[in-house]
Amino acid sequence: MKHKEWMARLFVLSLLALALGAPLIGWRQQAQNGVLLRGRMAETGGWTPENLSVAVGETLYLRLTSDDVLHSFAIGRSDMPPVDILPGEITELNLVFDQPGKYTFYCTRWCSINHWRMRGVIEVVGAGQPGAALESPLYVRLGIDLDSTVHTALTPEEKPAAWRGQEYTRLLPAAALGSEVYLTQAPVDYWQALRSTTALAHLTDQQVWDLAAWVWASNTAPQELEEGQQLYAVNCAACHGESGGGDGVFAAQLDQADPGEHTMTIPGGAPDAMPSAISGVRTTRPTDFTNPAYMLALSSARLQGKILRGGMGTGMPYWGPIFTESQTWALIAYLWTFQFDLGEKP
Amino acid sequence: MKNRYWIVWMAVALLVMFAPLPTRAAPPQERFYRVEASQFEYRPAILKANPGDRVTIELAALDVVHGLAIDGYNLETTAEPGQPARLTFTADRSGAFRLRCTMTCGNLHPFMIGKLNVGDNQLLWRASGLAFLAALAGAASRPGREGLASILQAWRRQR
Repeated sequence: MKHKEWMARLFVLSLLALALGAPLIGWRQQAQNGVLLRGRMAETGGWTPENLSVAVGETLYLRLTSDDVLHSFAIGRSDMPPVDILPGEITELNLVFDQPGKYTFYCTRWCSINHWRMRGVIEVVGAGQPGAALESPLYVRLGIDLDSTVHTALTPEEKPAAWRGQEYTRLLPAAALGSEVYLTQAPVDYWQALRSTTALAHLTDQQVWDLAAWVWASNTAPQELEEGQQLYAVNCAACHGESGGGDGVFAAQLDQADPGEHTMTIPGGAPDAMPSAISGVRTTRPTDFTNPAYMLALSSARLQGKILRGGMGTGMPYWGPIFTESQTWALIAYLWTFQFDLGEKP
Repeated sequence: MKNRYWIVWMAVALLVMFAPLPTRAAPPQERFYRVEASQFEYRPAILKANPGDRVTIELAALDVVHGLAIDGYNLETTAEPGQPARLTFTADRSGAFRLRCTMTCGNLHPFMIGKLNVGDNQLLWRASGLAFLAALAGAASRPGREGLASILQAWRRQR
């Protein structure tokens, strides 16, 4: 009798231990399985956690999930395809980094107007090969002040076309060709230089513009334009518009003043000289790429600066940690198609 | 006497339910709808087409990624802000079809719906006819009356 009672007690106790111990085992297993990375709209928190770290050569186990809408996980300046993250589902991802450094991970699906603010950093530590030192970008080497205003009154009558300019290419001086011109000069400066060339004196203003368009076309490749178009549609069109007119679906919202009325008055300066510089909430209307008075006064290097650094308080994201060098140049090549007809004769 | 009338009522009810209605024969045409999707609505939410029309729907998302599926047509697409998507199909099935969002777009996502009406809404007319018939039958079979004949007699007497 006594023996049976002890057996029963032991049985009950072992069941209790199992019930209490099971979550503990599960928790340990989860800790080994890696990091649970939750995505949320930027307004309600963005990524949690935002900072990850891993050693070179070690596997970073990520379990991705979303708390609200469809997000996507990608790593900047890498060729890893983006991974969609669906609410209520766990997507597993294993990452191995072979070079130390700081990598930006970001969302590639438009999840709100502040979608681009949804970014985080993976810090990869360890010896490994130090990555090739990044060359400072062209706009820095040229010392371009990105925030100075640019404008030109010298605009062509119609959209310059490369195929029309092709006729006069034999008249071009050798110095007027090459990538140096395309990268560093604004079209309007280049046009003025051509205009003062005696060999081209007999051409009309429009013909000289067509010639400039041809030089711009000779520095872009069709597959580069295609890549640029793809990047533009995914990353830029929501604000700058599908046709580049600065009229994307978010344009109207970006044009509004700061709803929180954050203002800052500089002593001695005009009132509201820096509206909400602290909050960074204030945004401005996206640039109209079809406006020749603005675009033709910009050089490719300046566009590169705008893309890499962003708009600083205008709502324009900074793409430096996201785009590779070649992606940036492909995008710039595509931006020129809003001003120049770079294609073949129709 | 009274018991026989149910056959007449049933015959009329079947007629109301299944009799072919005259359809306005419109020549098939091209229709284009730009549907703007935002949290949590489609604008416009009700699309109309005649049977046989070639319908193109351009779905433009205004805030987050939205989708569009049409029940009964087996069509689906998704659009991101800045990247509109198009659906082109022939409206070869008539009736009313539900539009639904296919991308989880927020907490009220399940309520993001719309409708595609192909042809006249015959169901509404037939249901109204049946309701009217039911009321008539109810009135006719009130205790103390003798069916349809009594209604006709009462009507004649009034005149």
